[in-house]
Amino acid sequence: MTRLFSHFQSSVGTKVILALTGVGLVIYVIFHMLGNLQVFEGPHALNSYAAFLRDMPILLWTARIGLLGIAVVHVVLAIHLSLNNRRARPIAYVIHGYRRASIASRTMAASGIVLLLFIVFHLLHLTAGIIGPASAGLIDAEGHRDVYGTLIHAFQNPLMVVVYLAGQVGLAFHLSHAVSSSVQTLGFEHAALDRLFKAAGPSVALLVVLGNVAIILAIFLGIVR
Amino acid sequence: MRFTLNIWRQKGPNEAGRFVRYEASDVSPGMSFLEMLDAVNQKLLVAGEEPVAFEQDCREGICGSCSLVIDGIPHGPDRGITTCQLYMRRFPDGASITIEPWRARAFPIIKDLVVDRSALDRVMQAGGYISVNTGGAVDGNVLLIGKDRAETSMDAASCIGCGACVAACKNASAMLFVAAKVSHLALLPQGEPERTRRVSAMIEAMDREGFGSCGNQYECEAVCPKSISVRFIATLNREYLRAGIVESALSSESESPHAESV
Ligand code: HEM
Ligand code: FES
Repeated sequence: MTRLFSHFQSSVGTKVILALTGVGLVIYVIFHMLGNLQVFEGPHALNSYAAFLRDMPILLWTARIGLLGIAVVHVVLAIHLSLNNRRARPIAYVIHGYRRASIASRTMAASGIVLLLFIVFHLLHLTAGIIGPASAGLIDAEGHRDVYGTLIHAFQNPLMVVVYLAGQVGLAFHLSHAVSSSVQTLGFEHAALDRLFKAAGPSVALLVVLGNVAIILAIFLGIVR
Repeated sequence: MRFTLNIWRQKGPNEAGRFVRYEASDVSPGMSFLEMLDAVNQKLLVAGEEPVAFEQDCREGICGSCSLVIDGIPHGPDRGITTCQLYMRRFPDGASITIEPWRARAFPIIKDLVVDRSALDRVMQAGGYISVNTGGAVDGNVLLIGKDRAETSMDAASCIGCGACVAACKNASAMLFVAAKVSHLALLPQGEPERTRRVSAMIEAMDREGFGSCGNQYECEAVCPKSISVRFIATLNREYLRAGIVESALSSESESPHAESV
């Protein structure tokens, strides 16, 4: 085991953990988006879904603490790698042309920072209810927390819409490189599948972000009320 | 043709460097980039000035020593070639061209455009030997290797160790180089006995030399004079993970007589 442990301390091992934690977060983000799409089914669906999640406190808190741990590891390793990488080229080129790198891949640190700020804001806003909606304590007709009402209230505010859309832009950029990149980092390659792997990043990014943006805009434009 | 060159000059490893402008006139379109520099140096010599130091040897694209970053791109604007195979007809007449050395912490500058790439040699050394029986040459076709596998291994083996992958990578990572070296042996039966030890030692050496990590941007593949595929980097990641698992299994039963020496 000590061998395996020392393997994970190398640059390649660190990237592998970055990729594994990243993929964990990606899976969460996908299910988060799918769950929230229930806003289109009306208050009953969303509120009882939220109540269903909160009805299992052990599971809920295990998931929350697990996710938080994964996110912290991801961010700490990302910072560690970025600093190391900066040290690897002390003197920059005066001219540096990219030939192939996507814009998303060049802005991973920036999109990561946007995501970090957004996640903190989002948790304070809709999870903890510390920022924003006075409606956080609302109870619906069935006695559930009125998550639906809270959302409607939140996204009628143009400022909130702007903040959330900015978070989605960060997510789109980060995911579109991250998903394909993690496939490579985890050692998967095959002549027949490489195009699929390459397309995976932008596709996952597009689906997740479209789903989330649909919710935000549908409420803001009054399509969902 | 005539060009304005903006060349990095640095007297020695610990001196401060700077860019100096030179005019290259009477350049024939058929001159290679290095021949053009030869002509510039000739004039400098005649004028009693110190010629521009740059590395070169074979001038036919196989030794990998002609390491120049030309207008921000290692080995210049064309794909799949080294600097010595780049011809001046590729540039518009009157162009201004910036020439820099490979820039990486692991490649300290020796003089002007010449860098010390022995970090790559030390990574190779860490990889170590392969076990073969010495003596008479082995009969042909004793070791059967599938055509696809042999070809893939040869693709990896075409790496000439020029270091352009490091020079192009925003993290100055040597992953494509190490990937090529690890893959070409890992794919063949000759490389099998030391397979796990080799990849672990080479990654360890790579980190020790101060190269960065791979961001999967694939700039390396785009500048590689041998167009080595980044798929070998996935192979390297896989080999390294495999080695971690195999070695941890072996070290827990290290009295096993057949265990690989670690
Ligand atoms: C919270 C703030 C975040 C920061 C600061 C951050 C930062 C980074 C950085 C710098 C990289 C490295 C890219 C490279 O090596 O070139 C990375 C990779 C990655 N990130 Fe994040 N990230 C964050 C959040 C997320 C989230 C929320 C997800 C998933 C939804 C995610 C998924 C990934 C994945 C899958 C990778 C790919 C690993 C690889 O290159 O193999 N990240 N992240
Ligand atoms: S001088 Fe040998 S590859 Fe260019």
